[in-house]
Amino acid sequence: MPTAGQKKLLEELKNSLTQAVPEGQVEDSDYTRTGCHLEVRLDQGGMRRVAKVMLDKRFYLETITAVDFIDHFELVYLYSTYYQDVFRVITRIRIAKDATPFSVSAIYPGAIWLEREVYDFFGIRFQEHPDLKRIINPDDADYFPLLKNFGKTKFTEEIDDILC
Amino acid sequence: MLNIKTIDDATVNQRVYQLNLGPQHPSTHGVMHLLVTLDGEVVIKIEPIIGYSHRGHEKMAENRIYEQFLPNPARMDYLSGMIFNHGYCMAVEKLCGIEVPRRAEYIRVITSELNRIASHFIGAMDYAMGLGAITPFLWGWDDREQILDLLEGIAGSRLTYSYGRFGGVRNDIDQAFYNGTRRFIDRLRGRFWDYENLINQNIIFIKRSKGVGVISKEDALTYGVTGPSLRGSGVKYDVRKNEPYSAYPEFNFEIPTREAGDCLARYQVRMAEIEQSLNIIEQALDHLPPGPVRSKVPRFVTPPEGECYLTFESARGAVGFYIVSDGSRIPYRIKVRAPSFSNLFAMTKICPGHFLADVIAIFGSIDVTVPEIDR
Repeated sequence: MPTAGQKKLLEELKNSLTQAVPEGQVEDSDYTRTGCHLEVRLDQGGMRRVAKVMLDKRFYLETITAVDFIDHFELVYLYSTYYQDVFRVITRIRIAKDATPFSVSAIYPGAIWLEREVYDFFGIRFQEHPDLKRIINPDDADYFPLLKNFGKTKFTEEIDDILC
Repeated sequence: MLNIKTIDDATVNQRVYQLNLGPQHPSTHGVMHLLVTLDGEVVIKIEPIIGYSHRGHEKMAENRIYEQFLPNPARMDYLSGMIFNHGYCMAVEKLCGIEVPRRAEYIRVITSELNRIASHFIGAMDYAMGLGAITPFLWGWDDREQILDLLEGIAGSRLTYSYGRFGGVRNDIDQAFYNGTRRFIDRLRGRFWDYENLINQNIIFIKRSKGVGVISKEDALTYGVTGPSLRGSGVKYDVRKNEPYSAYPEFNFEIPTREAGDCLARYQVRMAEIEQSLNIIEQALDHLPPGPVRSKVPRFVTPPEGECYLTFESARGAVGFYIVSDGSRIPYRIKVRAPSFSNLFAMTKICPGHFLADVIAIFGSIDVTVPEIDR
């Protein structure tokens, strides 16, 4: 059951997020099933406006990741709180395969490495990033390992899911 | 004549130079490379170069079924492997809606907390060794050895456990484990005084760590620092309390915090957490409920389509498993939020202005595990 503090925060966040990103969808999320309280769905951009709202409310950036859905990417930003009533906001941003989204590293410096990791594994180039280069894979690598057309995935070869 | 060029000509002058710490260096836990720019002995800039132990766990998840990924999480952070193992099981259980028997939850708590103590001993004692004290390291290793023996008895391995199963744990704990854990708690409680005497009152240790490498609350927030490094900065945040999972709400324990934010504070938080973990284990052993340790789960789990995110507290901070399922037996994507990754990046902010010798102290006090960063 959500506590009083969580309910209050939910209303506040809904207001400020719909003001900040009027084009996006701000929806409640089922915490017991997904682990998030609020979900923001966006197309192409708006991550910096969301990040500003989150920093105002004293959220920390848990992680940034991406999911390769063959025809598009989904950028996932997870924000959570340090205070007693935990509250998690997930931002999903649908971007095209060749899109160059904006970096949030000017707002959250911790995003510098997180975005480098996303670039390293998916080849998503962030605009206005101070130092966009490989982080975990070798500097001279010419592949992006977490794309679905790289290596062994169910899109590149048949995986026998019982005997694999 | 050899003409080896290591630094950019524009930045080089008489005083400013670059130094490579690692990839093989006694103070780096694992294979970690720190490229330090120095002015004399003062750090101007520090750049950790990571990726030497990258094994591609997230890619591995995309070509095998959920059960086959079970041994992998313990190999990400090998020092708190049991916690990772249980955490992955909890994430899949949440995705599939599997219930876990209460006895299994208690056993998970007991084994996780034992693992946390073992990990904190390495973290704290390795830090002391980084500052030149060899004896505490050997003492801590001795206590940790007892835990490894206990966990070996029930899980079968000493470091990279695969004891958790979807819907519980693999096997019940036996009387030998129960008695051994009780003995271990008594023994360790008697030894805290020795650690206090040996380390906490050592003047060299205090002078090397007090006021060194202060992480402010603001930096912690914007860099996403979690775990003992955050609690050393006075923020009372622990996933076990703030976002309780498993059987943690049923136990009575404190979250130790320190206000200073320096290396000493982080060390003190770790030692205080060991005592709290002992309290949790004792309560869990006292009230261990009877019953099965594993619920009936199909041989191969098939989660419904959807995503879920689950956090839990490892010895280094808040770990998160983000699982995307497309309704098949093979995960579509598993992303692991590694606490060491964010904690290490915060180091690049706090190191400039310190002496090179303090870099070793800061690095040791943050206590990162390299395979977890690289994954």
